[in-house]
Amino acid sequence: MTILDVKELKKTYTGRFGGNKVQALKNVSFTVEEGEYVAIMGESGSGKTTLLNILAALDKPTGGSVILDGKDLSEVKDAALASFRRENLGFVFQEFNLMDTFSLKDNILLPLVLSGKKVSEMEEKIKPIAESLGIADILGKFPYEVSGGQKQRAAAARALITDPKLILADEPTGALDSQSSADLLRVFEKMNKAGQTILMVTHSTDAASHAKRVLFIRDGVVFHQIYRGEATNEELYQKISDTLTMLRRGGEIR
Amino acid sequence: MSLYLRMALQNIKKNARFFIPRILTEAGLLGCYFIVYTLYRDERLRQVRGGSYLPAFMFIGVVVIALLTIILMLYTNSFLMKQRKREFGLYNVLGMEKRHVAKVLFHESLISALAGVAAGLVFGCVFYKLSTLFICRLLGVETILGFYYISAKMIVPVAVFFLIIDAFAYVCNCISIAFMKPVELMASAHTGEKEPKVKWITLILGILSLGSGYFIAVTVKNPLSAIGYFFVAVILVMIGTYFLFITGTIFVLKALKKRKEYYYSPKHMTAVSGLLYRMKQNAVGLASICILATGVLVMISTTVSLYAGADEMLRKHFPQELYLEAYYKDKEGMERSIPAEVLTQIAEDAAAKNGLEIREVLQQYYLDTSFAFKDGVCIVDRSRSNMMDVVTIYFMTEEVYEKLTGEKLKLSGNDIAFCVVNASSSAENYKGDLINVGGTDYNIVKKLSSFPVESSMISVFAHYGVVVSDEAVLDRINAVQTEAYGNYASPLTERIAVKYADRQAACAVGDAVSDDMEKAMYRYVESLEDYNEDYGMHYFLDTLWVAEVDYSSMYGSFLFLGILLGFVCLFATALIIYYKQISEGYEDRNRYQIMQKIGMSQKEVKASIGSQVLMVFFLPLVVAGIHICFAFPLLKKLLNLLLLSNTALFVICTVITFLVFALVYVMIYGVTAKSYYKIVR
Repeated sequence: MTILDVKELKKTYTGRFGGNKVQALKNVSFTVEEGEYVAIMGESGSGKTTLLNILAALDKPTGGSVILDGKDLSEVKDAALASFRRENLGFVFQEFNLMDTFSLKDNILLPLVLSGKKVSEMEEKIKPIAESLGIADILGKFPYEVSGGQKQRAAAARALITDPKLILADEPTGALDSQSSADLLRVFEKMNKAGQTILMVTHSTDAASHAKRVLFIRDGVVFHQIYRGEATNEELYQKISDTLTMLRRGGEIR
Repeated sequence: MSLYLRMALQNIKKNARFFIPRILTEAGLLGCYFIVYTLYRDERLRQVRGGSYLPAFMFIGVVVIALLTIILMLYTNSFLMKQRKREFGLYNVLGMEKRHVAKVLFHESLISALAGVAAGLVFGCVFYKLSTLFICRLLGVETILGFYYISAKMIVPVAVFFLIIDAFAYVCNCISIAFMKPVELMASAHTGEKEPKVKWITLILGILSLGSGYFIAVTVKNPLSAIGYFFVAVILVMIGTYFLFITGTIFVLKALKKRKEYYYSPKHMTAVSGLLYRMKQNAVGLASICILATGVLVMISTTVSLYAGADEMLRKHFPQELYLEAYYKDKEGMERSIPAEVLTQIAEDAAAKNGLEIREVLQQYYLDTSFAFKDGVCIVDRSRSNMMDVVTIYFMTEEVYEKLTGEKLKLSGNDIAFCVVNASSSAENYKGDLINVGGTDYNIVKKLSSFPVESSMISVFAHYGVVVSDEAVLDRINAVQTEAYGNYASPLTERIAVKYADRQAACAVGDAVSDDMEKAMYRYVESLEDYNEDYGMHYFLDTLWVAEVDYSSMYGSFLFLGILLGFVCLFATALIIYYKQISEGYEDRNRYQIMQKIGMSQKEVKASIGSQVLMVFFLPLVVAGIHICFAFPLLKKLLNLLLLSNTALFVICTVITFLVFALVYVMIYGVTAKSYYKIVR
């Protein structure tokens, strides 16, 4: 079943006074099936962030459509957008985006609280997630008291707790050391195995090599994609870096 | 233009958000300081009729504003430096040495100081003129044209005082930069602060001191001791306010957080934890705002009440328009009174000469003498008396009392009526049922709540009033004190109270009447055979027309000072609020963005943060209101001491002051909130 259907997405930024038009997305189309784990790669300025912002309904496209679980994002009213995002999407950011005034537990519970869930229900939900992410012991701590990897796992728990249809991850390993990165990617794999659909934007080959499919974006278009098939992480890593080398040389892939 | 100067100018432009309030602060404070300083030193103002109180009051203003200035200027300076640490770190990293940074800083300080001082002097000169007009109005005197008293003698000391503070701030900044490491300067990234903890000792101390401050304010009975207690209560309440803002708020918020059903709801979660951190950073600033606000309210409401109540106080103090008693010494050195009949004749002649009609002349005879007072016994033996036990007692016959009050007491023999006119800290409110003078017991058969002879002086000694049955008793008591005190004995007072038919007409020619009466009294005593010219004559003439000027000048000066200090406090409040809004804005920007990303709509985020900000800013106002309510009984007693007993007037003045203040506060909040949202968005 198709969870996400992106059709001919266009985004043009117009400078002040109408001049200086920048086309961030020219024509992007792809679909994500339920239970997929997709990585989107591209260099700085390729349009990755613009794409993610549009998928997260934080920004509006100039053309094309995004259909999440059969619902066109452009048809969701502005007033309902926040709750729509809360209920259908989970976010993991490069900079964690944990509230420094909340304990990890409160940070994770925040989306449920905003949805007005009961305290008993929240407590029930947080337990298994915290345990599977290995942060059950540090739930009472504050963000400044724990490591970057632990912060990011808490952020992942926050994304998971609403049972979202899709998790959007924006450079989730960008601010982590290699050990924490590996831990987090293992967590993502585990989440995906449990049936969670994940869309991750990254320019780390290592991070992308954990995905089932890798999309390459250059100059506002989907330039290429690689399916994992039966390949191991190492083999996929090799394929990705070959592709990146080719991209950098400006070659065409047929 | 040197590089440093150019950099300094650029920095000021770039940090206009911080520099403009700093310059305005300096200008505003300098303006106010200039006004009080000039009024304090203005020789001409002293010569204005009724201007004599002004310098003394203005001196208080000079001291208070100087202190506030030092505190506020250093506060703005430290705020500015805190916000710019990262910038200085960057300079260091880019290769500027600390002395170069100090040079840039020097140019910045110089420019902003000069701008502040110049603007302040202009502001001060303009408002000085306005203040003199206002003061003349308050004092009820004609405005003197060309009333300008601005000279280098006034400007230089004021400007130098402010430049010294600026220089001091600059030196502080240089020291703090010298001790700072570039890495520390750069590391302005939010590292996250610890969740505040409840400090139980501070909490308990806060509750105790606030509670006892309130308790004193509410329970103080004696107006005289109220002055001393007032300061104790003020200090206790100040300590309590600081402590409770620091820990009390955190205690409440933590308790709320523990209640899960309450805490885990969309409305409360962000608000409670947000406030927890906000209070940690802002508690001191908020407590200061609260205390300043209370100060403004107390000063303005009391001074306005006094000024507005001056007429009524006059009416109360002067049921008649003129009171006169006069004494001379005879050849043997004994002090004698001019008989009331003679005084009456003199008053009638003077009135006739000045075209006034007298409605009534009351003749009062009473004995006004002092004893050491112990358990009802009036001790005349000086060797046994202790200054602390001294009381002044007015003795008056029933006949005179009835004339003055219209009340019949029906006393007989040694029965007396007793009144505590004015208790004091030294003598307790006497509650016994007899007093003993010269070995004779007098039974108190009636207690009076007021006495027709008012003491116009505020005295540390207690005043009692005693009504005796007839003149024989009065003579007996007089004999006791005459024998004991000899030439120092008080003569039997013969006093007249004159009520004119037309109060205003009497005031219009009052000075001429006073003059005529003085001359007539001299003529009278000089015609006496046993008049002792060496000692001369002295008299107490208490008139409405002199008191009118006195009251309006005293309370006018008081009001002016209250308004000026109130203005300075308000200014300080606005400044603290503004800086708080800005520093919070920078911190909240981050939170705002996170909350939006996680799935709060912009509206929800704005509502959540808005309500926190609102709570933080209106808490001081609410607490100031509570302080005022508790201070009310004490303030009322203090005003009673100044003979203002119109509680309704005081209530109205306080309420109006509070409402006006709240309105100004909301306006300040509104203006500063705009700059807050500009940052956050």
